[in-house]
Amino acid sequence: MAGRILLVEDDPQIADYVARGLDEEGFTVDRADNGRDGLFLATDSQFDVVVLDRMLPGMDGLALLKAMRAAEVQTPVIMLSALGSTDDRVAGLTAGADDYLGKPFSFAELLARVQALMRRRGAPAKAQETTLRCADLELDRLTRMVRRNGRKIALQPREFRLLEYMMLHQGEVVTRTMLLEAVWDYHFDPGTNVIDVHISRLRRKIDDGEEQPLFHTVRGAGYRLGLD
Amino acid sequence: MASIRTRLSSTMTRLVVAIFVLQLLSSALAIFFLRGQMLDVVHADRVRQVVDVREDLLAAYYDGGRAELADFIANRRGSASDPTVFTALTGDGPPVLSNLTRAPDLPPSTQPLPVVVHRGPGAAGIEGVAVASVLPDGELLVVGVMSATERRFDLAFATAIGLTIAVAVALALASALVLGVVISRRTHEIADTAAQLAKGNFGARVAVEETGDGFDHLRMQMNLMAERIDRLVSELGSISGALAHDLRSPVARLTAAIDTALVRVDEPAALEALHAARADADALRQMLDTALEITRLEGGATEDRRVPLDLAEVAQDLVELYEPLAEQSGFELVADTAPVTVRADRELLSRALANLIDNAMKYGGRHITVRTRADGHHGEIAVCDDGAGIATEDRARVVERFVRLDNARTLPGGGLGLAMVAAVAHLHGGELVLSGDDGLIASLRLPR
Repeated sequence: MAGRILLVEDDPQIADYVARGLDEEGFTVDRADNGRDGLFLATDSQFDVVVLDRMLPGMDGLALLKAMRAAEVQTPVIMLSALGSTDDRVAGLTAGADDYLGKPFSFAELLARVQALMRRRGAPAKAQETTLRCADLELDRLTRMVRRNGRKIALQPREFRLLEYMMLHQGEVVTRTMLLEAVWDYHFDPGTNVIDVHISRLRRKIDDGEEQPLFHTVRGAGYRLGLD
Repeated sequence: MASIRTRLSSTMTRLVVAIFVLQLLSSALAIFFLRGQMLDVVHADRVRQVVDVREDLLAAYYDGGRAELADFIANRRGSASDPTVFTALTGDGPPVLSNLTRAPDLPPSTQPLPVVVHRGPGAAGIEGVAVASVLPDGELLVVGVMSATERRFDLAFATAIGLTIAVAVALALASALVLGVVISRRTHEIADTAAQLAKGNFGARVAVEETGDGFDHLRMQMNLMAERIDRLVSELGSISGALAHDLRSPVARLTAAIDTALVRVDEPAALEALHAARADADALRQMLDTALEITRLEGGATEDRRVPLDLAEVAQDLVELYEPLAEQSGFELVADTAPVTVRADRELLSRALANLIDNAMKYGGRHITVRTRADGHHGEIAVCDDGAGIATEDRARVVERFVRLDNARTLPGGGLGLAMVAAVAHLHGGELVLSGDDGLIASLRLPR
């Protein structure tokens, strides 16, 4: 999934690390190390995603974001910040950010979120569908019925929401943090492998006895739902 | 009334009694002084009276001789008409007596002297003062005044003393009580502020009345002390906050470097080392996050996102989140909830509760219960375990930042968990209470 990404980050080491990683994933990366250049680039050229640091010399990340949205540039923005508290996150999202990631973050987490933003941009209609399908797995969002290969699968309410989220993002890497935020609406790190255990329970219900597993663990990142 | 009783205990009682006794003594002294003064005045009056009467009698003598004097005495004329005045003229002839049965035996003098006189046969002697003068014809003239009035004075004084004591007792008791209550109230005010400070409310101050007395001095010094404690504590907090903040960027770079190395290394031993380093970097980041969060919470620098929230739902959601992990690790994690609505920030409260559940799984026993209930004006959400618990004397200490008990040093964790929970409780106007006899009950009490 190639795309063009604008990275606005003043810390050269973090910028190198992110740019190199995105480059290896096949993205084209434009860089700016201060707010003014960042705003200029963001309004002047077409990008698929903007990765924006919160604290920048020249122009603060929040101000840049507001100016960008005021200029009706609707490019998805993921905000990076050493300010990880709920207040800071809410401020970022209110200013128009599509996602918010506290520093330090793992590259896998950033990559998963960048990819999710790009896909959401490409296929926004899926969120409206009432029946979700992934290979022979079928989830009916109205009757809350889940079937695989004709077999009825009984799920707890939370397991249903977990599977629903995974199916909405099938083929993508979803991280533990993304799941915790989307399915449980918690924005703190429970610190242990809480989510892994939930996934492994769900995985047993979906994949046990099937020839083709649909759940895949992506090492160092999270999970992916889909064939192979 | 219990408060009155405690207010009058020990020191207060002694003070009240001392004030009472002193006041009584001072009234008694005043009365005796007054009595002495009055007796002196009365005595001086009497002396003057004796001298006056003598002058009158002598004047009569010089006017009309002995006969005139005898008539004056016998008929009690002029100043001699006073019923307390007695006179005696003794010499060659029969004695002329007035108000007496027998002439007193008195040597001649210029100043009146004390004397005992008799007014009837067998009657008791009456004290008085008298002066004896020798007339030019050699006869002796005694003029005196009886002091019967002094007895009446003493009686009056006895009554007065009795009355005064009664009034003084009442007044002393009342003033001692008022004084006691006032002193007690003021000291309690100051002590209450000290207690607030001890509880960690460093913003507590005593109201200064600028009366300039010792209490005011104490209040001012107390406030200065509180000011200093407040400043030191907030400095400590901001230092640890700034430190945590400054450490985040190096940790971010460390994590980035490890991640970069992880994708380029294939050798199993190197990979294992890198994964271990990555886990430690994560733990470090989490500690810094929590330290920062505590600083923010304690500084009150967080937006108010409190909404009416059913604690039972908060508890059930977290139990639901942790239950699979608990089961896998061999714990029994259950919710025992009663609906109780408080104004709370779901995210912060859940984070605090997650910390408590995490703690219970690290240090607790096999059974963990997340319990909610209404308790008067408070909503309570508690995590109860059946583990080793925390010794009573350690309970206050463990909620401090970076404090870990000896038995916890071998387990992972930064010693920030309970400090964070306490900070969340304080932000909600509530408190973290640690209790429990078997195991630990960590309870967040939040105002309803």
